[in-house]
Amino acid sequence: MAMTDFQIVVRSLTARRFSTVTTIITVAVAVALMLTLLGMKDAARRAFDRGSGNMHLVVSRDASPLVAILNSVFYANPPRAPLSYAQFRQLRDELPVEWAIPTQQGDSFRGLPVTATEPEFFTRLRPDPDREWRFAVGRVFRADFEVVVGAGAARQTGLRVGDQIYVTHGTGTVAALAESAGARVGEGAAIAHIHKEFPFTIVGILEPTGGPHDRVLFVNLHSSWIMHAHDRRLASDPSVKTTGAADVTDADRLITAVLLRLLTRPGQDVTAVEPVVFDQLRRAGGFTVAKPAQEIQRLFAIVGGIHQIFVGMAGVVLLSSGIAIMLALHNSMEQRRRQIAVLRVLGASRGRVFGLMVTESAVIGLLGALAGVGVAVVGQQVVASIMRGQLGLVIEPTVVPAILLGVVAATVALAAVAGLVPGVMAYRTSVLRSLKPLG
Amino acid sequence: MPPTAALSIRDLKFRYPPGADDAPAESGEGVGGWIVDIPAFDLARGEQALLTAGSGAGKSTLLSLIAGLLDPDPSHGAGTIEVAGTNLLALHGAARDLFRGRSIGMIFQTFNLLHGFSALENVMAALMFSAIPPREHRARALALLERLGIARPNADPDRLSVGQQQRVAVARAVACGPALVLADEPTASLDPENSANAMDLIQSVCRESGAALLCVSHDPSMAERFTRRVGLRELSAAPAAVGG
Repeated sequence: MAMTDFQIVVRSLTARRFSTVTTIITVAVAVALMLTLLGMKDAARRAFDRGSGNMHLVVSRDASPLVAILNSVFYANPPRAPLSYAQFRQLRDELPVEWAIPTQQGDSFRGLPVTATEPEFFTRLRPDPDREWRFAVGRVFRADFEVVVGAGAARQTGLRVGDQIYVTHGTGTVAALAESAGARVGEGAAIAHIHKEFPFTIVGILEPTGGPHDRVLFVNLHSSWIMHAHDRRLASDPSVKTTGAADVTDADRLITAVLLRLLTRPGQDVTAVEPVVFDQLRRAGGFTVAKPAQEIQRLFAIVGGIHQIFVGMAGVVLLSSGIAIMLALHNSMEQRRRQIAVLRVLGASRGRVFGLMVTESAVIGLLGALAGVGVAVVGQQVVASIMRGQLGLVIEPTVVPAILLGVVAATVALAAVAGLVPGVMAYRTSVLRSLKPLG
Repeated sequence: MPPTAALSIRDLKFRYPPGADDAPAESGEGVGGWIVDIPAFDLARGEQALLTAGSGAGKSTLLSLIAGLLDPDPSHGAGTIEVAGTNLLALHGAARDLFRGRSIGMIFQTFNLLHGFSALENVMAALMFSAIPPREHRARALALLERLGIARPNADPDRLSVGQQQRVAVARAVACGPALVLADEPTASLDPENSANAMDLIQSVCRESGAALLCVSHDPSMAERFTRRVGLRELSAAPAAVGG
């Protein structure tokens, strides 16, 4: 076995261990940042695409189509203006739909959205274009005041089948205050309070879907209408104790969105009638009609610009790490001139010591890039966890091999370029001066 | 030119250009501004010679020329420095570097061992540039170190005694089986006892390996070790008399 140029590089790196490690960390952070930003964009896009499942349109009375999608598909906020159930029936009966499913939002449980809907939500709508709903345990609600819990919500709350809960009227901070205080909080229509008169029973817990539905609790529409009928009756008569199905009026039968799937040819997802229906609904007035795919594309067009800026900044950080490599090697040149001179005396050519320096720089880049891949994997898990908790988006962080290889290769190339300056210094090192005292 | 010469110099002149980076601060000048001006000098294979001169007279510059680390004055015309029959000055770039690595061993006052490399790796680093098959490098380096009394070949030289560091430096210088060993003040850092031991070692190792030795030293006690003693001034002033 003989010494090799690579062993000389390794010895050189280990001889300056502190400098080597800190430089590698600098490169690793830059690479991790770049990979995380590049990887999360694709993962987020996939998560958004998955969230809308097999629906074609969303009809609501939100301010804009994008807001309609964010509210009714991703549960960002409850839509402010409701639709009547009669309007839903009209849409379902008059439009060429394969199915139409009403949803109503506005209640919450421990900060998690509670959505009232119909059993078709679990039989017709797909949470993901490629899969149907699956229950980890239990079943769909069949009666009033039964609850189906999303996988993420179940994990977060610890709810199990058979548990009883009380949902809170309202969402967000006000609802959280009402829950913790056990009292009515807020003013007017925005008063948040716990519906203590109506205990709900958990009857099913869903398997994870990887979409926004995982952080939602689902009840049937009729239960929600009864609770809100009770609120209406209490407002005019504080002595009211109970409210039943018979007390629900058309004024209580409100929803916040309709999810539509239009007629398609068997086995196909595209529908020829979508443009017609879309125009028809927009001309009808009073509705906000949104195509999930189009709005998600629009959202990413907005976010994409910001993303480009972030990626650009990550590129600058990566470039800075290249400069850090150059500085680390440059600053060590005074120490290593004697070593270079000795290698020259032993028979190494100027070109060879130049190559050793560039190789050392590239090795630092490679080690930093590999460490950066590891950091990126952890970083993406952290970001995914935040996205899951804050937005309900289940991101599956994956580093696309082509992107990964590209970033690693670019980092090594950048590091090799950064090694050119110290390489030239090594090339030009004076053997006589560096081996003093010589005479 | 003797066919068996380890070193043969003809018509060698050198002076540093004004402001040259390589010029040692103490470099002096001879007649006509030449630091080195040697009409002829030969060193037979296996011969050992001591080169003496005053401080700054150009001894180290001469060693650098012989090692191919400096080029003679191009305006002067063709001189030659032959090592084992090869004109070093006819070689350029990597070819000259490789020839130096294989044919010339160098021993320095401060040893100049590679930092961060073990004693064994220091010797193996020299063998990297030899024509010896790589699979033999390790065994050859270990055998050499053992012969020179290095019991811990994997130790960092910084953890070895000064005498042992000197031995590693000697082992490295002769590892490739050079025709010529250049020793530049090899005992200047050592006390008298270690100095004597080091010179015993250098001379005996060169003798055993058949390498010629050209040693530069200020140490007066060195003179009695060499049957051939050459003054640099003498080389320049009386070219016909040198080499004997």
